[in-house]
Amino acid sequence: MPLHPQQRINRFEKNFSAYRLIIVVIISCVLMYQDYQKNYLSVLRVYLSASFYPVQYLINLPNNFIQKLNINFSEREKLLQENKSLKKDNFELRSKIQQVYKLESENKRLYDLLGSQPNRDNSLIFADIVAVSPIAEKHQIIINKGSRDDVVIGSAVADSNGILGHIIRDQIFGSEVLLISDREHAIPVEIVRTNLRSIAVGTGNYNQLRINTLPTNTDIKKGDILITSGLGGRYPEGFPVGTVTDVINNPGESFLEINVTPFGNLKTVNEIWVIQPIEGR
Amino acid sequence: MNHQLRSLFFIWSMILLSIILMVIPVPDVIEQYRLPWLKMTVIFFSIFNISLIGIISVWFSGLILDIMTGGLMGENALILAVLSYLSYRFRFQVRVYPMWQIMIVVLILLSLGELIALWIHGVSGNMFFNIYDWINVGIAVVVWPIFMRGLEKMQSSFLE
Repeated sequence: MPLHPQQRINRFEKNFSAYRLIIVVIISCVLMYQDYQKNYLSVLRVYLSASFYPVQYLINLPNNFIQKLNINFSEREKLLQENKSLKKDNFELRSKIQQVYKLESENKRLYDLLGSQPNRDNSLIFADIVAVSPIAEKHQIIINKGSRDDVVIGSAVADSNGILGHIIRDQIFGSEVLLISDREHAIPVEIVRTNLRSIAVGTGNYNQLRINTLPTNTDIKKGDILITSGLGGRYPEGFPVGTVTDVINNPGESFLEINVTPFGNLKTVNEIWVIQPIEGR
Repeated sequence: MNHQLRSLFFIWSMILLSIILMVIPVPDVIEQYRLPWLKMTVIFFSIFNISLIGIISVWFSGLILDIMTGGLMGENALILAVLSYLSYRFRFQVRVYPMWQIMIVVLILLSLGELIALWIHGVSGNMFFNIYDWINVGIAVVVWPIFMRGLEKMQSSFLE
């Protein structure tokens, strides 16, 4: 039965009433505050994101499928070439590892002599990337391992070249990773050559980090390698982060402007691993 | 009733489609020029087809977008609710305007949305001015006539 025109207007007025707007604005503010503080409602968010995980997976399916297809249909010659170079790499790495065993045992012996605790092993969980944040200034990715696979919030994420980021939110079947190039991200680093510690912050550019807390008389030069310092407790110690590409000394400024190129491939990453702290499990 | 169901289906499929357009992965070149599809769709329905949409449903669509994009929960929901309310309040004037004036109204509404987003980012401590957001508002206003006529056509053919 069609509604009377006045009834229709009344319903519109109710649907768009100022009271509803006020209620909705208040609820949004509470939600935003809680989400920002990450306290009471974080569980709600976990379940909501988990329920939208299939949708996200479906939306990203064509893209991932095309990438897989590209791999499957790449030429045989190319694959053989790749296989050959991988074999060579593997051989080289194995020979290097032989030295590492020796170094490790030596290191352990020295730690024993000093009577201090060596840094402990981390366990790795392999994961695939499911989605990339559609917002350009947000450098976030979603991976296909979550709390169901024992991934804990705060674990570091790396690829075969270096650190990529860390886990900020759990989605049960997946988790959200904040990349080191995000503007809100800062990573404690150490310069290998001088053992100097500092903090590299993201710039919003996928292949650049920046250090701007070192005074102008610091001993740092182009080509210096940065590793994670392990300070702050979020990132495990000793993982490669990047290399210094530019040291800019602006006259009149009391701090250097240092540009760093990350080792990890932040833009096109395929397989990654989550570095689980032993204590976290 | 049948007509109403179809209308409901049409509105929600359009809202879902715009959410998908907001989150679907695209090549880098287009990535920066992603238009605010959901805001445009909500403004359109709040002005021209208010029969089966309300602030609460708009708010939920914004919440879905927030969760899918990994943003602050409630940010887009708040912006969409405000835009929807304002569009509804001015619907009688806007409906009779010529197209260029409708475009100005859309420009004002979308800019207000960006402004609220800037405020929220400022309060949560990471305000940075992204020029592409504003370029996209401009593009959205330019393509608005096509968008609006297209949506009107689809609506009339679907609800025949």
